[in-house]
Amino acid sequence: MIRRIIFISLFVLINATLFGQAKVSKNHPLTGLTCKTCHSCNVPTSKDPCLNACPRAEMTTVNQTPAQSPEVEVMKELSNRYAPVVFPHRTHAQMSEMSGGCQTCHHFNTIGPIQPCINCHETKRQRDDISKPDLEAAYHQQCINCHREWSHRIDCTSCHAEKGSNESAAISSSIKKMTGKIHPEIAEPKKLIFETKYKSGKYVTFYHDEHVKVFGANCVDCHKQQNCSQCHDKGKATMIVTSLSGAPIKMHKPEQQHHKPCFSCHQDDKCSTCHLEKPSGPFNHEASTGWALNKFHENLSCSKCHGSVKKFEKLDPACTSCHNNFIQGKFDHSAAGLKLDENHSSLECENCHENKDFSKPPVCSSCHDDKNFPKDRPGKTVGKIPSKKIKSLK
Amino acid sequence: MQKQNRRDFLKTSAILSTAIAGLSTNKTKAKPKEILSEDRMGVLVDTTVCIGCRNCEWACKVAHELPTKPKESYSDRTAFKKLRRPSEGALTVVNEFSNPQNLNIPTDVKVQCMHCDHPSCVSACIVGAMSKEENGSVIWDTDKCIGCRYCMVACPFQVPSFQYDKALNPKIMKCDFCFERTKIGKLPACVEICPVETLTYGPRSELIKIARDKIKHNPDRYIDHIYGENEAGGTSWLYLANQDFAKIAFPNPGDKPMPGTSESIQHGIFAYFVPPVFFYAILGGIMWITKKRKEAE
Ligand code: SF4
Ligand code: SF4
Ligand code: SF4
Repeated sequence: MIRRIIFISLFVLINATLFGQAKVSKNHPLTGLTCKTCHSCNVPTSKDPCLNACPRAEMTTVNQTPAQSPEVEVMKELSNRYAPVVFPHRTHAQMSEMSGGCQTCHHFNTIGPIQPCINCHETKRQRDDISKPDLEAAYHQQCINCHREWSHRIDCTSCHAEKGSNESAAISSSIKKMTGKIHPEIAEPKKLIFETKYKSGKYVTFYHDEHVKVFGANCVDCHKQQNCSQCHDKGKATMIVTSLSGAPIKMHKPEQQHHKPCFSCHQDDKCSTCHLEKPSGPFNHEASTGWALNKFHENLSCSKCHGSVKKFEKLDPACTSCHNNFIQGKFDHSAAGLKLDENHSSLECENCHENKDFSKPPVCSSCHDDKNFPKDRPGKTVGKIPSKKIKSLK
Repeated sequence: MQKQNRRDFLKTSAILSTAIAGLSTNKTKAKPKEILSEDRMGVLVDTTVCIGCRNCEWACKVAHELPTKPKESYSDRTAFKKLRRPSEGALTVVNEFSNPQNLNIPTDVKVQCMHCDHPSCVSACIVGAMSKEENGSVIWDTDKCIGCRYCMVACPFQVPSFQYDKALNPKIMKCDFCFERTKIGKLPACVEICPVETLTYGPRSELIKIARDKIKHNPDRYIDHIYGENEAGGTSWLYLANQDFAKIAFPNPGDKPMPGTSESIQHGIFAYFVPPVFFYAILGGIMWITKKRKEAE
């Protein structure tokens, strides 16, 4: 029985997530495509379905995971001075997850497929359109700034092999060496406590896991400037260790730089939203918004109700502001765990749920003097009736 | 140190010339304004792109047949330990500064002649050896140059240098915007070699548009200032940076063309038919003192 209930509620939930928002065909999730084939974001909503351009199934766009991306690329467009460059693409895709994602290099994305650099960047330095760098400069501007950030070197030979007779042998041996190489997964801190220099509001507790798993932020929403040197520069390694150990982190950057990643979402918030007198607990929907999440909502992603991750919308707490099917004749009451009997199935919602406030227990007194919920029920129980005690988000 | 001395020198000569100008206010005839070609070329130097590889220094020397060490030796970062100025043996140099936006990536700045739109070196030259060409370059005729070093004094960017070590017929040296190369349709040597295209060669008017666009689209990356757009009345070489130009050793010559100072020296001289030799003696004397002081330090 319990298994059936779980199955039904899961089914309802999945259906609500997938179908509740736009008119898409019933077999929408069963087409054998991954979500990312059609949607560029993690949680498409009806307002912002973030659809890739058509035809989607055959097209390669930058909306893919490192694992889906090409492993090694040989760049030979400009091999006049040096041998072609063997570029471990997938490893770089993995590394870029913390520093801007695919867009770091693939910065010009039409709604169509990935554009090769050479489509825009000319191979000749002497050219008419000087508004964008030539191909050599375009490559180098992408590569060298990251490379010199941690290596502090700018010599050509770290990427370029000399031209020569054994060129092709060198290339195939590089390809072999780079194939199968992966960047280890980056350790993610659970929470970070910042100890600021302010007298009041000294502490900022940042729940890293929550921002990723609950609020749905992507790494690159905050980690834009942090390249390899964040971990690979010797001087900085100690800071990483501190942040993973959970010990308070002292301000080590100019104030503006500390605020920058936060402000891309929190620009309209008060200081006291984050700055508190002591390290604080995790997010609590009821405490922060006055509206507790019940079991139907606690597993939903925030953007399901509040729209785009970058700017969560404030909602009207009335159920019908989201659930436009909470009206007589449209709503299948069994989804609430109780199948209404014949006498009750044609009543208006308000007759039992005063003011359409579904968070309160229903009342029988408008018609019956001698009946009381939950002792008396207007139909057959088909599942667990939502408990009055409303749980908040863990 | 040298910088300080030369500035002292400039100051002293400015006082001197003001005195002369004072004598000759009514009589001085203004030189006809340089006629600037609408399509004159320039270079946009994006200091946020430069990686400090100093390939440009090497290429410049090769193109001008100046003695140089092998190209590989230019990746030596110790060259950045002290601030360098263009010299008679290196017409362009790259200096390194700290970058407030990212301490791991220093800011590298290539310096050379700015190829002013109203070059004070041209107005200062008493024999008319220097000229502003139609393509934007400010060049000089070695045959005419008498080595008087007026241009050195006049330049607001301390660019021209003097071949002190040449005993016979020493001349002025500076970046010539690769005039001999551009004449035959080649790019300036430094522009051609730069691996990241820090240096964009093109019509000055177009470069200003590109620079404005860059600032507009990357307000976090650049400060809202195109150095050279108005400095010293405008220059052919233009710079973009992510910090105040004073912090990366650029002087502030103001927005007005600078020729006033030195022009009044020579015009004053000729207005009164005072034998120029007398003034050479004074200028030479000042230089001698300055040099002595430098040696003493
Ligand atoms: S920077 Fe100096 S040398 Fe160059 S054109 Fe201007 S005044 Fe003349
Ligand atoms: S333009 Fe020519 S002379 Fe001037 S710095 Fe570049 S390479 Fe040297
Ligand atoms: S060649 Fe280009 S990148 Fe290298 S130092 Fe010169 S201007 Fe900078």
